[in-house]
Amino acid sequence: MIQIKNLVKRYNDVAVVDIPELSINKGETIGLVGNNGAGKTTLFRLMLDLIRTDEGEVRSKEENVAENDHWKRYTASFLDEGFLIDYLSPEEYFYFIGSLHGLNRAHIDEELEKYDDFFNGEILGRKKYIRDLSKGNQCKVGVVATLLQNPEVLLLDEPFANIDPSTQIRLKSLIKGIGSEKHITTIVSSHDLNHVTEVSERIILMEKGKIIKDIKTGNNTLSELEEYFSVMQ
Amino acid sequence: MNRAFLQHQWLAFWRSKNTGKSIAVSIVLGLTLLYFFANLLILSFFLDKILEKVIPERDAIDSFNGLLLYYFLADLLVRFQFQELPTLRVKPYLALPVGKNKIISYLSLTSLWTGFSLSPFLLTVPFLLKVLVFDGEFVAFCGLVIAIAGLTLLNHFFSLWLKRKINMNAWFMVAFLVSLAAIALADFYLDSVSLQAVSRRIFGSILERPYLAAVPVLLATAMFYMHQKFLKSNLYLDELYKERTGAKSTTDIPFLKNFGMAGELAALEVKLIIRNKRPKSTVITSLFFMFYGLIFYTNREPSPSLMIVAGLMMTGIFIIQYGQFMFSWQSAHFDGIMANNISAEDFFKSKFLLFTVFSSITFLLTMPYVYFGWEILFAHAMLYLWNIGVSSLIVLTFANWNFKYIDLSKGSSFNWEGVGASQFIIGIPLFILPMMLYLLMKLASDSMTALALLGFIGAFFLLTRAYWLNKLLKIFKSKRYAIAEGFRNH
Repeated sequence: MIQIKNLVKRYNDVAVVDIPELSINKGETIGLVGNNGAGKTTLFRLMLDLIRTDEGEVRSKEENVAENDHWKRYTASFLDEGFLIDYLSPEEYFYFIGSLHGLNRAHIDEELEKYDDFFNGEILGRKKYIRDLSKGNQCKVGVVATLLQNPEVLLLDEPFANIDPSTQIRLKSLIKGIGSEKHITTIVSSHDLNHVTEVSERIILMEKGKIIKDIKTGNNTLSELEEYFSVMQ
Repeated sequence: MNRAFLQHQWLAFWRSKNTGKSIAVSIVLGLTLLYFFANLLILSFFLDKILEKVIPERDAIDSFNGLLLYYFLADLLVRFQFQELPTLRVKPYLALPVGKNKIISYLSLTSLWTGFSLSPFLLTVPFLLKVLVFDGEFVAFCGLVIAIAGLTLLNHFFSLWLKRKINMNAWFMVAFLVSLAAIALADFYLDSVSLQAVSRRIFGSILERPYLAAVPVLLATAMFYMHQKFLKSNLYLDELYKERTGAKSTTDIPFLKNFGMAGELAALEVKLIIRNKRPKSTVITSLFFMFYGLIFYTNREPSPSLMIVAGLMMTGIFIIQYGQFMFSWQSAHFDGIMANNISAEDFFKSKFLLFTVFSSITFLLTMPYVYFGWEILFAHAMLYLWNIGVSSLIVLTFANWNFKYIDLSKGSSFNWEGVGASQFIIGIPLFILPMMLYLLMKLASDSMTALALLGFIGAFFLLTRAYWLNKLLKIFKSKRYAIAEGFRNH
């Protein structure tokens, strides 16, 4: 589904992402972990063609993402609040995102019903603009907006960071669900090793821009990761 | 402590990511201010001659006293419009062991660092030196200057206090504006009160008995403490930064739905304008330019070159005022626009659509000027074509070199955020180019033909827009990373 070849991004001559080879298969759920500054967000941005690569390329369905826009049709992403249009109400934002994929309002309304639990009554019909929501609720809006697009590829950067424990649990089951039922290729980054090992089939560990571990999730994965991060200290 | 605060603000200025470019802006701003101050000084120096000429039946100092109160009322109104609340970011200090009083006095004292504090003195001291000190009335001079200082401070703290009050309760604004209007009405229309007489009495008695200057100083001190007290009891995050979360408005523009994705994006941008402070005030100020014609066309026989300036401004004001900051308006969610399923082509088409819609509105609004001659309507029509054909293209080309973030929630007056070199250069093609073309074509024919040719060129660019759009897309393809990067690093 996604191939990365010789991908290098430098800031001030320091390579913040340096990945010679990475291949992600269709339907895989991948957890991306690493300490701050490991290059996770930069990697996401490179995959979304938001920053220019210095060397190499990211290919999605065999097409270089920097060369044409075809990937935008089947790729949904939420990296930070910069993806939200904050002067819209959540409903308006969902309708807008839906319209980008030719989905009408009735369809979106129907889809939104599935997320009633997830929203916990704090998002819809509150007569608030997104900018007036708390960070956690903004994150909910961003995550649901990605799922509404029926994507084939889904990129989420630290979706667990600002949300409350109940929502974290619901989000985990959402992500696990879409992985097993819809076969969406999902990449989720997180600092919470528990969450990330729980939802993903494969863990990619980054350090200083390089991938230093790429493992299938098994019984020992969590302890293996914990060991790595405690040595780091 | 004050020193630490000062140092932090100093660092905040120099370490802000925009510093490199904003130094150039600051220099231009500084020069403009110097120019204004020089004007005030010169005006003040010749004030006695001017007053004697305008009001020959009175002494210069007497007329001056009569006008002083009007000046301070006007000063209050201008401050109310433009004076910014002092913005040391107090948030990080509130939880630290720093006395509230210290934070507050710092906020109050640094707020004095503004041109408004200086201009009353520039405007009066040279004049007073000339008419009083040279006549040997040094004590009277001191009294009057102290009174002016007192009133300046009174105005200063009153407007700060009022602005903060208004932030919490908009009725204060209504009360303030209504009382000002009532005073003006009583004075100018009903002749029941004469502020001039009041003013002459106040300042006349200060001249005679300089110790009375203590009164405005006392008033200012009282106002200072009132503001101080207000700040102290409201220095809580949720109150100081209270954001109005009023009910959301539903703004659908069915007309734009006819234009597919581009229309959808244009409708989104209309919402952006309506729901955010800075773009909203930018667009509202633009509407005031519709009265430009009243200044230009009423006084004299409208010449064609006047019509060009007025027509360019009036039919293109949205393109000029709003367009010069493209795409900074969307800087906060530019990443979202780039990563979502929005093609660059639709993105640009929506901008053209927006420009066309707004220019058409302003063109319709300026139609009544036909009263001053049908040539005016013709000129406006031609310049309307020029604006939607050429000006919109120029603005969108420049937008590719605009990397500056804009915070939509701040007001637009005296707000230099997002202003860079491109906003200074853009005036050249926007204004000088059509003027030069017009003058050149006028040499070869007459003024009406030259105007018609300008409109023709506009129409030509309009018809060949697909070609130019393609060129724009090529530029954007290579520039988009830099634009997104700039918006991210604010």
